[in-house]
Amino acid sequence: MKTAKRKKKNDFQKSLPLLLIALPGIVYLIINNYVPMMGLFLAFKDYNFMKGIFKSDWCGLQNFRFLFATKDALTMTRNTVLYNVAFIVIGTVIAIFIAILMCELGERVRVKFYQASMLLPNMLSWVVIGFVAYAFLNADTGFINNTVLAGMGKEPISWYTYQAAWPLILILVFIWKNAGYQSIVYMSSVSGIDKSLYEAAALDGATKMQQIFQITLPMLKPTVITLTLMSVGRMFYSDFGLFYQVPQNSGALYDVTQTIDTYVYRGLMELNDVGMSAAAGFYQSIVGFLLVLAANALVRRLDSDNALF
Amino acid sequence: MKKKKLLCGILAAAMAVGLGACGQGGDAGTGAGDSAGGSGNEAQNEAGGSYDQVTYAYATFNNIPTEEDLDTVEEAINVITREKIGVEVTLKPISIGDYSSTVSLGLQAGEKIDIFESLGDFNNCVSTGMAADITELAEAHASESKELIGQEWLEACTSEGKLYGLPTYKPIALTPMVIYRQDIADELGINMDQVTGVEELTPVLKQVKEAYPDMIPMAPVQAGDLGLNRTYGEYDTLTDDMYTPTGVLLGGEMTVVDLFSSDIFAEKCRIAREWYNEGLVMKDAATTTSMAAELMSSGNYFCYMAAYSYPEEDTAASLSAQSGGLPTGAQIIGDAYLTTGDVNALTWMLASNTDVPEAAMKFLNLTYTDADVINLLINGVEGRDYVLSDGYVSYPEGQDASTVPYTAQLSCGTLGNFFLMYPNEGTNKDSLDWELEQNKTAATSPAMGFTFDSSSLKTQYTAVSNVIKQYLPGLMCGSIDPETEIPKFVEALNDAGYQEIISAKQEQLDSWKEANQ
Repeated sequence: MKTAKRKKKNDFQKSLPLLLIALPGIVYLIINNYVPMMGLFLAFKDYNFMKGIFKSDWCGLQNFRFLFATKDALTMTRNTVLYNVAFIVIGTVIAIFIAILMCELGERVRVKFYQASMLLPNMLSWVVIGFVAYAFLNADTGFINNTVLAGMGKEPISWYTYQAAWPLILILVFIWKNAGYQSIVYMSSVSGIDKSLYEAAALDGATKMQQIFQITLPMLKPTVITLTLMSVGRMFYSDFGLFYQVPQNSGALYDVTQTIDTYVYRGLMELNDVGMSAAAGFYQSIVGFLLVLAANALVRRLDSDNALF
Repeated sequence: MKKKKLLCGILAAAMAVGLGACGQGGDAGTGAGDSAGGSGNEAQNEAGGSYDQVTYAYATFNNIPTEEDLDTVEEAINVITREKIGVEVTLKPISIGDYSSTVSLGLQAGEKIDIFESLGDFNNCVSTGMAADITELAEAHASESKELIGQEWLEACTSEGKLYGLPTYKPIALTPMVIYRQDIADELGINMDQVTGVEELTPVLKQVKEAYPDMIPMAPVQAGDLGLNRTYGEYDTLTDDMYTPTGVLLGGEMTVVDLFSSDIFAEKCRIAREWYNEGLVMKDAATTTSMAAELMSSGNYFCYMAAYSYPEEDTAASLSAQSGGLPTGAQIIGDAYLTTGDVNALTWMLASNTDVPEAAMKFLNLTYTDADVINLLINGVEGRDYVLSDGYVSYPEGQDASTVPYTAQLSCGTLGNFFLMYPNEGTNKDSLDWELEQNKTAATSPAMGFTFDSSSLKTQYTAVSNVIKQYLPGLMCGSIDPETEIPKFVEALNDAGYQEIISAKQEQLDSWKEANQ
């Protein structure tokens, strides 16, 4: 009994410095992530400035109704989820591809240069990227209409009303902006793989491709699973800038560019309704949370070593 | 081992201290912000006097002046207000783009804002409880302003019999005009006086296109807006935003109708489509991020349509200055029409949580009745920010709106009493008479004074406003075909609960009519 107690105390003493190190992070989490959760009340309140957050009247699920009121509910949910699936799948494949290429290149100076230039778009804001896209797609003066299509002798296209092209354009723009950044984590995983594995494989006569498919990719599996699980949690969120700024808020494209975030923004810009925006955020985080739980359960079933929790 | 532990401890402590310092830095920052905002009683005590502190938040279209430059103007105003009403004022200019959200978030967070403007959101300010009921306060402390503004306009700022604000007193009647390049019209021998409506504009645009194939004859006012919605004639949105009208009144009738199924709407869309197909308008008008003045000053456009409250010559003169001095003309293409929305779009309100309602009301009154106060607000300090000659103001030699320490000139139609402000150099004092006359004689909607309470229809409003944003800009700029798209538009609207809004509007309008007969 006594020893057990002492052990416990000892454990605490041992971990105290670690806890102290973690303290700033914990404080940050509480201030930044937990305290604002008080705002969740707003999702169920008919907010009135006179009465304040806690004294405003309860209104049940009234604030959630607008999210499901029209056929748009289907469109925006479909767009949000499908685009995110596309981003996760294509984004991961391309990021791994880049990571492997970089590591195979091996030469430091050039790798650094490529890495930096691929990271650059990630530093740009969506507004800037929106205008880069605009320079390409503008109907009167854009690069594609005036140079590419004209060069091929084709009629110009009014891109900002041409729905069919936008799923592709959005995915391209997303990859261009994010691939470099996403590949960094994979790059460090790839370079962390024990070199002796490759030497052994080379001795056994494995080709480069075989080495990649038999060694590199399996070794990357835990990283892929962790990163994917984390993105699945954000499946119900969309990158607002991408879906709002890049299509220049063009109404004709709403069918293919409307996501939950843009819908909420457009709908509430006029009303400035605090309760309804809180409801939308609440809905997104609950669904995101459930998705993470589900995805993690699936992973645990298939491969319990790699599950997050 | 021990050493390592010690190191860990020190490291952790160092980080904790670092964080503490950061935290303190943050606190100090907000503290400064608060006292600058003149936070409540504390600031009052610090100031030493017994003056009530009033914060006046207004939208600026210019860069925000520095703290010291603002202080000078505040002090000059305070000299007047201390004596006249025993109040000290803090000015809080907020950039126009952020105004609504800054004020609404500020009020939620308990920031000191006593007086603010509705900026097109009268209904919302009332239904969310941001604005205080000032029926009695205004009677007691702003009777001069009330008299000046007149009962009819005050009605427009009334909801369920309670007064919620004072409308900006200014030329309100907006007359639709086409603003064009005088030099090009002269060169091509176009007589713009013949253009009295949108229809007559088409041949002019074609003529310009022919003579200058590289030029785009018509620019949009802003994204999704060719100005065609100013030319519906007798048209009342019943206090909806002009870009997302739901149920409207047409032709002076008291029946709420669906604008988008109406013939006049189809007609305007057809014209837009024709212009688009013939290359007479900017192709990306529905999505452009440029505004008319900017496009015009590029020299690549011939004209645009918008509505102004000043006479043709004054409008042309001031717009010419804005678009880089290009010779500019203005031609009226329709009649002004007054609705509740025109009046209460810019309503000055008191915050419902203000701790100094009486002082705030007294100060608001001064912005309508005291020429010195309003001119300090609008022009800043004489000599430094502007020079006065013969009663006209202009910027000091070599300065302009963006370089003088303080000016709110660009907000001139939004503050207090416009008719007390010194007129700008280059305008004509007689214009003021024309403008007052327009205010009094312009055709007025039969629903003048009616405000629609949309709070029970928030879901439908959100859904409908999304549908409108999807279709309306494209239709109004001709980039989608009205033949096929209007029916789809109307169907989507109905799915979103459009008819419920229309019938609710009719219901409220009927009971308003009954109560006001």
